[in-house]
Parts: sequence; structure tokens; C-alpha cells
Amino acid sequence: MVELTKTGIDGLDEILNGGIVSHSTTLLSGPPGAGKSILGLQYIYNGIEQFDEPGVYLSFEEDTTDLREAAESLGFDNWQHHVDAGDIKIYDKQVLLREHDFNASLEILLEELDNNDYRRLVLDSLSMFGLFFDEERERRTYLLKFLDILGENGLTSLMTTEQEAGYPEKDINMENFLTDGNIYLLQTPTESGVNRYIWVAKMRKKNVQTDIFPMEIDTGGITVYENASAFSMLNEDDSPL
Amino acid sequence: MSSVELLQALGSKYSAEILDATDEPRSAQELSEELDIPIATCYRRIDELTDHDLLKLHDNVLSDERRRIKVYRRNVDGIRVSFESALSVDIEERSEVTNTLDEAWRSL
Repeated sequence: MVELTKTGIDGLDEILNGGIVSHSTTLLSGPPGAGKSILGLQYIYNGIEQFDEPGVYLSFEEDTTDLREAAESLGFDNWQHHVDAGDIKIYDKQVLLREHDFNASLEILLEELDNNDYRRLVLDSLSMFGLFFDEERERRTYLLKFLDILGENGLTSLMTTEQEAGYPEKDINMENFLTDGNIYLLQTPTESGVNRYIWVAKMRKKNVQTDIFPMEIDTGGITVYENASAFSMLNEDDSPL
Repeated sequence: MSSVELLQALGSKYSAEILDATDEPRSAQELSEELDIPIATCYRRIDELTDHDLLKLHDNVLSDERRRIKVYRRNVDGIRVSFESALSVDIEERSEVTNTLDEAWRSL
């Protein structure tokens, strides 16, 4: 039986048949606005709030204030408390991109991972991380090494990438093959707003439900509706793929 | 290359400015314009610094006119000159993301 890390997100742990495989890295893909960062925030917040597991949030996209405001707007009221207590460690874009010196930040991060007992990590986004390497082969090699380092440090990680599901001929990024799991977030516009879906396409060492499930983003974050019948009732035109 | 020659290369006019500006890859043309260095001098300094491994050819990038342009990055984080026993110059090579990950990965 593999060890699992619960996301604490309603419905998601159920379709994952218990949670994400511990010490693995899962790629979280989807277009802008699909909820990748929100899922990341929720994963880290639930980690300490529900499971007493400290986490690290790396963001090339936002600064500490943005993250706090995003978290609080979702009703994660104790976010700042956990940040102050050191149970949520944030490396925001200002830190990561300070004087173009990502390497210095990386050294600090690796040292902190070594000295502390963090259990969860979110990297938003992996696409930005890739820019620090000169060519594709180098990027792949070092991404694998980075994933090894995270796993060996006891971390269960989520990494975001802006990639649409369902168009393999367009661009299947190598990242999909390198990471242990793949979760896609999808959205389709409707007359009244947007329909959101989540699809767990892959999870190594683990059986998961690979159907596409509807989800919502509201106060409290993401809720996944495990009841697939809600989805099967949709018209074919509404299919996200 | 002797320590004295290295110090001379470092002491040449514009050398320090070029190293300061090449935290990110820069072409000779860009350096010449940004730092107000005559272009011929700029090429000479770049050669000199490259010979001493203080500067490194980073890449050949394609320009808007589809020409290949050489861009350079500095290869040092710091330099320490010591006169204690004999003159010595220690070059602290610039650490790279790949080095950092290699090191962490090897120590797993």
C-alpha cells in the first residue's frame, strides 16, 4: 500500500482514491483562470490546517501580498497566521527573481528543505522554472534531478503549467512524462459564466478515477463533484474536450 | 596566464564596467551603446576578458535581421587578490543553477 497525501479538497481525494502518492510530483495543467494557483494555495493551506503538514509555496507569478489576498478572499482566514508561524513558507516572485539571481534563491531553498520538515510544496509555475536552463535536454535532466531532490526531502509536490488538455498534437510537454501525476483543470464558457472541470489523467503507482468531474470555485476554495452523473447530464456541446 | 596579466586585464579601461553589466548575456553592440565604449575597444576588451575566463561566450542568438550575434556573460562572482606569500588571484566562479542542483542531487 503506497503512502498517500490528502489534498483536503472536497471530492478530489475521493476521485484520487485517497490522495496523491506521497513524495511524488504532480503536474497541474490548465489555461489561465482555470484555478491552478487556487488549487495550489488550498493544498498548502489544508496541509497545515487539517493535517499538520508544513508546506512551501514558490511563486514566480505573484508576490506575498497577492498570495495573502488570494488566500483570504477564498476564506483561508488563518493563512497569514501560518505564514508568520513558519508553517507556510513563501518564496514569492520578488525573492525568486531578485537581481536575476534565481540561483541564490535556489541555494537557500535547498538548504531550508534540508533543515526543515516541510511536507508539501507548490511551484507556480514550472514553465518559469524551465527558463533557467539553456536547452531542452538540460531542462529535462535538471527537472528530474529537482524532482528527485524534492522526493528525497519528503515533499509531495504540485507544479503548475499552462497547458490545455486534449490537444496532444499541439504540444505535449516533456513535463507530462517526467512527473508522477497529471491533473488537468478545464473550463468552458457558458451563458451564465463558466463551467469548470477537473481530470486526473495519470497517477503513477495508483488507481484513480480518470473520468472528468465538474468542480466549482467558491468561498472555501475548490469543490469537486464526485457524482459523475452531474457531468453526464451535460450536452455534448458542453463537453470540455 | 599569470596573476599579473589577469590583474592587468581587469584593470584595463572599461573592463570592470563590462563585467558589471554582463550579469545577463549582452552583445558587444549592446555593451558599446550602454556603456558608451568605442566599438573596437569593446571587442578588444571582450576578447581580453574572455581569454582570462572572466567573461564567457554564452550563446549565438539570432537577431531581428536574422544574423547570428554573440552574447557574453560574466563568469565570475568575485575576485580575491592576496599578497600574503606571493601574489595570488583567486577567481570565485559564478555559481549556476545547474551546479547547485548537481551538488544537491549528488548529496542525496
